[in-house]
Amino acid sequence: MSKSKKIVVLGHFGVGKTSLIRRFVSNSFSDKYLVSIGVHITKKVVEISPTESLSFVIWDLEGTDEIDTIRDAYLLGTHGALFVFDVSRPSTFQNLKEDLKIVTAKMPKVPVLIIGNKIDLVVEKELKELLKEHNIDYNFLTSAKTGSTVDTAFLELAKELNV
Amino acid sequence: MSSFKKYSQEFITKNLHFYLVDFKGLVVDSNASFMPRVVNKNITSIHPFFECFSSFADSLEKEIVFNCVHLETNEKLFITDVQFVRKEKEVLVVIQDFTQHYTTYQEVAQARNESIINSELIVLKNKELQEREEFKNSFIQNFSHELRNPLTSIISLTKLLAETDLIGPQKEMINFLLESNSNLKLMLEDVLSISTIASNKLQLQEKAFNLNKLINLLEFTYTAKAKQIGVEFSLKTIGKIPEIVEGDRLRLFQVLTNLLDNALKFTEEGSVSLLVSLNQTRANKANIRFLVEDTGIGIPEKDQESIFESFKQLNNCGKTDGTGLGLAIVSGLLQKMGSKIKVESVVGKGTKFFFDITFKIPLKTKKTVVSKNIDKELLSAIKSKNIKRFKLLIVEDDEQVQTVLFKVLINTDCFYIDLINDGSKVLQEVVNNSYDLILMDVNLPNVLGNHVARLIRDFPMDSINKIPIIGLTANVFNNQEKGYIKDGMNAVVSKPFDTENLLETILRHLK
Repeated sequence: MSKSKKIVVLGHFGVGKTSLIRRFVSNSFSDKYLVSIGVHITKKVVEISPTESLSFVIWDLEGTDEIDTIRDAYLLGTHGALFVFDVSRPSTFQNLKEDLKIVTAKMPKVPVLIIGNKIDLVVEKELKELLKEHNIDYNFLTSAKTGSTVDTAFLELAKELNV
Repeated sequence: MSSFKKYSQEFITKNLHFYLVDFKGLVVDSNASFMPRVVNKNITSIHPFFECFSSFADSLEKEIVFNCVHLETNEKLFITDVQFVRKEKEVLVVIQDFTQHYTTYQEVAQARNESIINSELIVLKNKELQEREEFKNSFIQNFSHELRNPLTSIISLTKLLAETDLIGPQKEMINFLLESNSNLKLMLEDVLSISTIASNKLQLQEKAFNLNKLINLLEFTYTAKAKQIGVEFSLKTIGKIPEIVEGDRLRLFQVLTNLLDNALKFTEEGSVSLLVSLNQTRANKANIRFLVEDTGIGIPEKDQESIFESFKQLNNCGKTDGTGLGLAIVSGLLQKMGSKIKVESVVGKGTKFFFDITFKIPLKTKKTVVSKNIDKELLSAIKSKNIKRFKLLIVEDDEQVQTVLFKVLINTDCFYIDLINDGSKVLQEVVNNSYDLILMDVNLPNVLGNHVARLIRDFPMDSINKIPIIGLTANVFNNQEKGYIKDGMNAVVSKPFDTENLLETILRHLK
């Protein structure tokens, strides 16, 4: 039986958190934007190696432009987190450093990966220049629409949690 | 159980589900409501959400609430609040179904978030468009600037060529060249105007001017133009139009000539008229209406707004010559002047364009405030070579412009000319020679012409610091002329220059 790990996916609204999870869990995508409220929980077993696997319980949290308003109860018992921003909307990453400080304060010692989503909407070279200009550090640039780097990001988190 | 208790109990339990769970997560008891009735199984088997129970089961002191949790069971989704309440030996899990309430909230959140995201995207799109527009305008301005020097040479040399002995076919060709040059110059001016307006770099030159003279000039010009194409032209004034007003004469002239040219262009028979009427005078301000009316082909109602867009030309009987910028320039200039162009038109009957402008009326309208007429006698004296020769220093680095200036000035036989092409050498030249006037390009290598002018004005010898300086520039933006005058230039002539105008300007500043 695989070990169970609680993952929270958070970030501003409309950045594609639900789409990322849907792409990872059921390899599907919908262009229609449906606002998530509260929390949706899904589960997926992730194979880390031929002999090891982890059971991800993924909490898709309601997006908010004020990260400190996230309900603390949702974060209880979290093992790992993905903080997602939308590369096509600077308002979702302009205050990334401050947002991450709040996240870290709420969940000390929990590994957080930073994901820039919707790279299909921008020119990657220009995006990288823009992020550099804004001094934005990120772990992965993904596209829930095309599936680019989505599995890689979740697997990376799985590996970190399995150490 | 009483009926009331029985019925109310049914209602309460409909939206409430209870699980009694031990500290290891085993369900001890459950009621039968909207969630599955499970006993003697781990709570995590009901939904992955309950896997969180193990993280706080031991440390739970009183209670913990999770709001708005989506629980899907038996393919049905409930949006719930889940409460874990610590009891003596167990934990009571209370699940309240708020699906209806949260669905309404979701709809509100959907509308709010979509609206915020859309506004953000519009702002981003606008920013991008603005950047593109700025780049385009800057490109057009720089490119037009580069075009001005060669165009100056072409126009001036063609004019000089026209004055030489030409045989029949050559004359025709030169006339054609002159006309083409003139059209090219007008089109370049149009493109420059619209890019200057669009980039918000246009600054009005508000001065007192004679409005009556401007109206008379338009009447004279357009009576002749209309006659050439067999159309009638009439001008009418209503009310006591003030003679002298304060405003940008050049831009008002540009607006009216654009409208009148446009009216003539699309009127094959009938008439074109200009009506100038006084709406009202209050304090020292006069509000005046200008109306240009024609009996031309008219404009369909659906196009009456878009005709003021840049490069917009309607498909009108193949009359698509020109840049298509005329009405866009009119609209932009009037906006800058605090006015707005209006149009009324009936297809096949004609069009009216009109606008109202408020002018200040200067308290003292002495004749001196209006630009002096050029001394025609002196100009003809220069042309008839009856006066002494003046010594001119030309400072210009462009070889084509040098050639043109030489030919124009030498042709008058009134000037001795020295030529240098570097701003840093001017001071040395004026110290070692005695010049009556300096004709100097602004955009010079090493030291800019206006900076040189400043150095000359600061020079401690009257024979030097009082030499008239006329600037030449292809850079006609940003109201820079004023700056050059402030730097010490007496006048500025823009490229491509008109030979007469250049000579007149030189003449005006010679002692």
